[in-house]
Amino acid sequence: MAKKDKNDDDFRPTGTIAVLAIFVVTLIAIWATIYMILVGRGGTL
Amino acid sequence: MSTQQMHIDPYERNWMIFSAILLVLFATAVSVAAFGMGIQVPAPEQRVDPRTVATDPNSPWSTPGLREVSPGKYDAYVLAHAVPTWEFLPKELSVPVGSSVSFYVTSSDVQHGFKIQDTNVNFMVIPGQVSKLTVTFDKPGTYNYICTEYCGSGHGIMYGSITVTP
Repeated sequence: MAKKDKNDDDFRPTGTIAVLAIFVVTLIAIWATIYMILVGRGGTL
Repeated sequence: MSTQQMHIDPYERNWMIFSAILLVLFATAVSVAAFGMGIQVPAPEQRVDPRTVATDPNSPWSTPGLREVSPGKYDAYVLAHAVPTWEFLPKELSVPVGSSVSFYVTSSDVQHGFKIQDTNVNFMVIPGQVSKLTVTFDKPGTYNYICTEYCGSGHGIMYGSITVTP
């Protein structure tokens, strides 16, 4: 079993958080853009 | 038996919560569009015999085209085929602006696709099955429709257009 480092609890993965934030913002922006185009074209009933 | 408490890293927990919220938001938005705004995916409308659908005099696809069912409302019967040549019948349609058109599309041979530019009409055209969607043309102009399923060497020339007149 790996020995727990005393600094593990203080570790803050800033780079990972930044990459994930970019991913999430891009995902939401693309999704929302297509959604608004879809809604703007009107119904099909 | 001892009780063990599962350890979840705070970052992992937050990511799971955020992902779940995002999924709920997306599902809600799609439900609102589908059931609140009437943006539906096509369901099979009816079954037909692909061997006779283009020739049976009782079949509306033997004379494809527009039928005005009431003022401002039309039914468009569109036949897609690859034999003798790749084309939609009719190739051109014309309706006044504000018209609501229900498209009934089927194929007499192989699988095709049907997509009308700048609308949400986009579905597969399967031999033996009629696909239906309705769209209201609120803006004048020309709306092209194309085949979106590869159907052979002439797939690229399968197109038509709807002219919406002012």
